[in-house]
Amino acid sequence: MSAVLQLSNVVKTYGDLRALDGIDLSLPDDSYVSLLGPSGSGKTTLLRVIAGFEPPEGGTIRFSGKDVTNTPPHERNIGFVFQNFALFPHLSVYDNIAFGLVNRAVDPVTDPKLVDRKVRDMISLVGLTGLEGRATTQISGGQKQRVALARTLVTEPQMVLLDEPLGALDANLRARMRSELRMIRERCGVTFLHVTGSETEALAMGDTVLVLDRARIAQQGDSDTIYNRPCSPAVARFLNCYNLFSGKMADGGFATAQGLLGFQGQPQRAADPAYAIRYDRVDIRPAGAAVTGDEVQIEGTFIASEYTGSAVNAFFSLDDGKVFEVEAHLSHRAPENHEPHRRYALAWKREDALVFA
Amino acid sequence: MNASGIKFGLGVYTTLFLVFLYGPLVVLAILSFQTGPEGGPQFPIIEWSTYWYKHLFGLTPPSRIAPLPIDQGLGRSMLLAMMTMVVSTILGVTAAQAFRRRFTGSGVVFYLIVLGMMVPGVLVGLGMALVANTLGIERHWWGTAFVLHVVYTFPFAFLVMLAIFNRFDSSVEEASWSLGVSPARTFRKITFPLIFPGVLSAMLFAFTLSYDEFSRTLFASGRDLTLPLAIYGTFSVEVHPNVFAFGVLTTLFSFALLSVYAVLMGLSVRRAKRIAVQEEA
Repeated sequence: MSAVLQLSNVVKTYGDLRALDGIDLSLPDDSYVSLLGPSGSGKTTLLRVIAGFEPPEGGTIRFSGKDVTNTPPHERNIGFVFQNFALFPHLSVYDNIAFGLVNRAVDPVTDPKLVDRKVRDMISLVGLTGLEGRATTQISGGQKQRVALARTLVTEPQMVLLDEPLGALDANLRARMRSELRMIRERCGVTFLHVTGSETEALAMGDTVLVLDRARIAQQGDSDTIYNRPCSPAVARFLNCYNLFSGKMADGGFATAQGLLGFQGQPQRAADPAYAIRYDRVDIRPAGAAVTGDEVQIEGTFIASEYTGSAVNAFFSLDDGKVFEVEAHLSHRAPENHEPHRRYALAWKREDALVFA
Repeated sequence: MNASGIKFGLGVYTTLFLVFLYGPLVVLAILSFQTGPEGGPQFPIIEWSTYWYKHLFGLTPPSRIAPLPIDQGLGRSMLLAMMTMVVSTILGVTAAQAFRRRFTGSGVVFYLIVLGMMVPGVLVGLGMALVANTLGIERHWWGTAFVLHVVYTFPFAFLVMLAIFNRFDSSVEEASWSLGVSPARTFRKITFPLIFPGVLSAMLFAFTLSYDEFSRTLFASGRDLTLPLAIYGTFSVEVHPNVFAFGVLTTLFSFALLSVYAVLMGLSVRRAKRIAVQEEA
């Protein structure tokens, strides 16, 4: 697969703040890429630099074989879907979608029949039929989302940047739009770069997932790799499914405030050492239960649990005050009732632990 | 005091305020219907008549009271106000557009622009007259006075547009660029329609301020008088109710202008709603 977008050593600063600190990345053509990062990690800045709204201080951006680092946004052929949708409030739904086709500087469509056909095709593709004449203030959030997408896709950009496109929608609609976005992308055959702060969204949507941390790309890989083999404690933390212990390597394990924790295999290289165990790989047992040789066990006091339907998340307070989370999938076992303020043993297999050193 | 008491008090206060505001105008309007030509600009009304209105348009038999020398002044003031309105609004919109991004020296430039509405008019007018004399430039209402009117009204237009741009969500412009539309066309098709209500307000400000500008024009306009100067000139002889009649007519004209403004404003605001109503019907 050829690379449609290549960034090398892109730097963007705001005063003393380095919003992008030497970004290198290469995005494949015709794929769905999600960009995950906590707020303040520079993900919106990265999109705005790629779109050309903000000039980078250093580095180059190559898009479909051309250097576009200094090209103005309207000559890049990169679409942008805003978090707040940024629909044109004085135009109807139909005119919003037709706007780019008719008014663009390069190759505007002047034949009204052709415009009409393209706009109507796009309206039916995104499922807005019947709303053509509405004002943008008279449609729901999900419909605005579709207008924003249709307006961009109808101009046939080579790539579409989506800045937290589902952030303004309610949870129900968000889930539905996820699969629709993927479907629409496949039919159009362009690359989507979807920025999100939600780890579930990033993993669910992306053929490729990029993790942005402190103005740098921390990891790039497919969802499975990112989820099961995060390359640094920071990435593991964003994924919101790992208990992390800081500490250092010691003889026969990893030394933490909870004592020596055993693991198998080689630790991964990382700047800040940490020991990570997934929420759903931990077994809750009565305090003082026996441990087999391939297990690690610590103790904690049960605080509370949260029922999410398909799983129960139990929270324990460890001796140093740290909160430890355990996720029990209800398809595997019936929910157990734990007593608050009572001590339990928390055990996991050595081989399930990830160690960064 | 209870809530309804406060409400009543505020109502009384508002009424008094409005009476105070419009009292002088009402007195003027009443006196303009004084009989003529023997009736003077004071109460009581000897007899109700429209004599002074007819007098304005030269429809009365000749008498010792000269007609108001307004026909030329009116034309000049209208044209001057129009010119000022167009130039100040264009300058105001473009300057405010420039101020959307900070640039080197933007703070200084801001205060220099705003200074134009702060400095006393008489001084600026006098200064302009001296400069014109020194440089050998002839003073005209369409030259030196016009420049001063622009200097005076441009800051108003600028501040109005600055407030409009302050609340303007620039992501719609970015959205347009990312659709391949050039910045110039984006301004014309997206930005301008959205700031149009502000542009109307800026135009209204510039027009009305210029139309009745007195102090700056006094020294800078040269031989040919604008309307405010012509009217003031008649006061030095004797005041007749024909001035009041003219005041009433110009007020009506201002109301007409305001109505046009309101209609245009309403149209631009209501366009979106109308589309929605058609859809639901």
